[in-house]
Amino acid sequence: MTWLFPLYLLGAAAVLGPILMHLRRRPPQERQDFGSLMFLDAQVPMPVSKRRLEHWLLLLLRCLLLILLALMFARPLWRVEQAGTPGEGKAVMVLLDRSASMRRGDLWPKAVEKALAHLATAAQDRVAVAVFDRAWTPVWTFTEDRESAASRTAVIRQRLAEISPGWAGTDMGQALLDASASLGSEPGLTGVSKRIVVISDFQEGSRLDALRSRVWPETVSVVADPVVVADLNNLSLSWVASGGEEQLIAGNRPTGTRLGRVRVVNSRESKVEDYTLAWEKGGAEVLSGHLPAGASRVLSAPPVADAVLARVVKVGGDVWDFDNRVFVAPPQPRRVRVVFVGEEKSREEAASPLYYLSRALQQTPALLPELAVVAPSASRLPPETDMVFVPAGPLSEPMVKGLRGWLEAGGTAAVVAGEGMGPALRTLSGQSVTGISLADEKSGDYRMLGEVKSAHPLMRPFADERLRDFTKLRFWKHRRLELAKGAEAVLEVIARFDNGAPALLSQPVGKGRLIILTSGWHPADSQLALSTKFVPLLYGWMEAAGFRNEEASSLLVGDALPLEPGEAADIMKPDGQRLAVTAGTTVRAESVGFYSVGGKQPRQIAVNLPPEESRVVPLDPGKLREFGVVLDSAVAALPGTGLALEKERLAVGEQEGRQRAWLWFLAAALGVLALETWLAGRMREGRALAT
Amino acid sequence: MPTALDTVALARIRSLELRAKVIVEGLWRGLHRSPYHGFSVEFSEYRAYVQGDDPRAIDWKVLARSDRTFIKKFEDETNLRCQLVVDHSRSMKFGSGALIKGDYAATLAATLALFLMQQGDAVGVTTFGKTLQEHIPARNRPGHLRRLMLELEKPSPEGLTSLDLSIGQLAGLLRKRGMVCLVSDLLAPVEKLEQQLALLGAMGHDMVIFHVMDRAEIEFSFEKVAHFRDLETGQERFVDPGLAREAYLQRFNAHRDFIRKACEHQGIEYHEVPTDRPVEEVLFKFLSARSRKKGGLRR
Repeated sequence: MTWLFPLYLLGAAAVLGPILMHLRRRPPQERQDFGSLMFLDAQVPMPVSKRRLEHWLLLLLRCLLLILLALMFARPLWRVEQAGTPGEGKAVMVLLDRSASMRRGDLWPKAVEKALAHLATAAQDRVAVAVFDRAWTPVWTFTEDRESAASRTAVIRQRLAEISPGWAGTDMGQALLDASASLGSEPGLTGVSKRIVVISDFQEGSRLDALRSRVWPETVSVVADPVVVADLNNLSLSWVASGGEEQLIAGNRPTGTRLGRVRVVNSRESKVEDYTLAWEKGGAEVLSGHLPAGASRVLSAPPVADAVLARVVKVGGDVWDFDNRVFVAPPQPRRVRVVFVGEEKSREEAASPLYYLSRALQQTPALLPELAVVAPSASRLPPETDMVFVPAGPLSEPMVKGLRGWLEAGGTAAVVAGEGMGPALRTLSGQSVTGISLADEKSGDYRMLGEVKSAHPLMRPFADERLRDFTKLRFWKHRRLELAKGAEAVLEVIARFDNGAPALLSQPVGKGRLIILTSGWHPADSQLALSTKFVPLLYGWMEAAGFRNEEASSLLVGDALPLEPGEAADIMKPDGQRLAVTAGTTVRAESVGFYSVGGKQPRQIAVNLPPEESRVVPLDPGKLREFGVVLDSAVAALPGTGLALEKERLAVGEQEGRQRAWLWFLAAALGVLALETWLAGRMREGRALAT
Repeated sequence: MPTALDTVALARIRSLELRAKVIVEGLWRGLHRSPYHGFSVEFSEYRAYVQGDDPRAIDWKVLARSDRTFIKKFEDETNLRCQLVVDHSRSMKFGSGALIKGDYAATLAATLALFLMQQGDAVGVTTFGKTLQEHIPARNRPGHLRRLMLELEKPSPEGLTSLDLSIGQLAGLLRKRGMVCLVSDLLAPVEKLEQQLALLGAMGHDMVIFHVMDRAEIEFSFEKVAHFRDLETGQERFVDPGLAREAYLQRFNAHRDFIRKACEHQGIEYHEVPTDRPVEEVLFKFLSARSRKKGGLRR
């Protein structure tokens, strides 16, 4: 039995009052005037030591009444244990947090120690041990426990000694769900009380949202056993955004430029407020500043002295440096080899398609298009061609065949249909297009796009409806395609003119894709090249061809490394370990730092710590209750967190509210009071009769 | 018996004179209803003429009005001198009820004075504490009653009850024989008291003693243990009423019995007057006793 307001028990000391009052012969405090003392004898007051209690039954009742009142106000309750008592045989799953925040101080050794202590108290129980960060990894399973329970402690100790905290974030919710699922699915545990012991730093950044997705089983209780560090000062750093595109072009960084922005965050209960910010190597100067506890600030990265060396920004000022670095990979635009089948000399002619294409395909932080021109009479494409543009014009037979082969192998080609290109298109499209004729448009008349399938992958840049205004785009000249029967099944019309004639078509050819335009982009055919839609359209096609024009955002630990699909790669981890990956394998980043991915286009990938992991202020384990988790009443609240105590008090209060044991004490007190009144009345009556 | 006005109601009447009037009026009304009508100490009235009466005494006005012959007694005819001796010692300050003993004694004396003066007797007042304090000789003249009242109304009794000194002095002052009414709580050693009472009896006065007692003194009905303080001497004594009651009552009753016996022995009329008894009732009993003693009223 415990008490909700134990301080009220002090009220029981009030029994001293009746005891003193019941001591006979207390020295009189009152004066009584009287006519004459001639008939009265003097009496000596009885000394304190000789006093005796009178009316002890009445006194007993009065004391009992006061004690009952004190007990009532202290609000007694019986703690209902969620799990069975030790020795009854339980299934205990010990979960150890091995997230990056457990790297602080001696948290991990402490956690291991606690886990072993839990094992020692659970000698009669079925035990499993697992570690978790963003995922749940078993260390010792119930099956192993069933088979070799005798060697349990030694094996677990050894296995835990081999594990150390990683760099991943904490998904406590998922870990709990996995653990409870494991407890639920394990054979031989039916009817046994199940308990999960979570040993963690219960940092604020722990994810619990997975718990919302499922109803927590009533039969599984959770014991939260927090490990704490005294020092809660923590400064953390994360990458916000890269700087302007012009600054990111490798090799063009002048000394003193600032590269991108970083966010510095000071932990809520931190006492450190001054920080320094600098590149670990290759920095020009060290920035310092003041950041109050709980605040965050986005700052420009410090100036760079050596652009090649400047790859790690570091914040200084706190003790825990696991989250003090941010890794910034150098910009590595992907090379895209674009081939234009036409005349090289037309590159500077304003009327030619090449003129516009060469100006549209500019370098971006993510892509580095390299435009090569191949004469139509050439027999084959250059090796390692990524994309081909074919303007309206005659093509040599070998070129058409080469192109067809290249398309089947996975290439993407955009072909402008022109007069006399019927046979070539027939070959390229695999007989879908049977002929081409010039649409008979009156002179001075124009066509506009009437129907655009903006949901098509080729039109992805126009997915946003604000960008879908094609009304200013006019086409002076276009061709009609004669399509074979059943060609609609393979030849997809992406855009039509307002007269219903197809404007843009797409057809998969083998592994590749053929894009057919019925009107060219150069001014003789249309205004397309001069419109704002042209460049996005080209990059949309390049994206469809596998060249996404987006700077890969910084990866976090646990994310999959962006490997070329269907391609084996050689990966070098930040610790220098090499990993050969076969095609189709997913590799997740496990550590912060730079991953070097080899292959056709070798590049460096920066992997950083999940920012939530830096939120190290302890979380109240009682918060788990909000997610429906049956938290064992023996939950160890974090010392020094008032909120935790308050939550615990509320939970106990709730329990007390259900039991309402105080009502019994009140009833007993009223009964005693009635008895006391009756007894006192009877005694007074007796005295009155006597006198 | 007249309807008694209880002491609580009486205590609400501030003026002693008014208090006395209320009582006396009640007493008169009661007398007319009473079967014992017509008794008094000294009574002046009309009565039917009988042969042999002095025709000068016939009230001619009444004869003219009612055609009946009545003898009119002169109002200024005085043949009783009454000296009211009132105890003003500090012990008279005690009172557990509505009135303290001192107030009750003053009311009783004032009522007697008014009653007697209304029937034409001469009344005087003597107050005493340790010694004689004030002496107003018995008279019956206009304004005398007011003087008596003022004397009786004097606040805060003082001094010890010292009957021997006071009565000694009083004996010197009372030359003419008459009635002496002593209103006191008689809280004095009994040995001296007997001597003084004998002295007064020997002087030939018609002695009446009104022994004023509080109910708490008679029954010693205290509950709480306390330091009891003597009002006369200021001396304090620790007393547990539960333990002391028996001895107290024994001694008190012995004292009272002694006084009663001494009075009986000396031919002194003795009246026990607890302060919770209505004054009218006391007066009525007193008058009844007088009538029985003298075998009828003087007509």
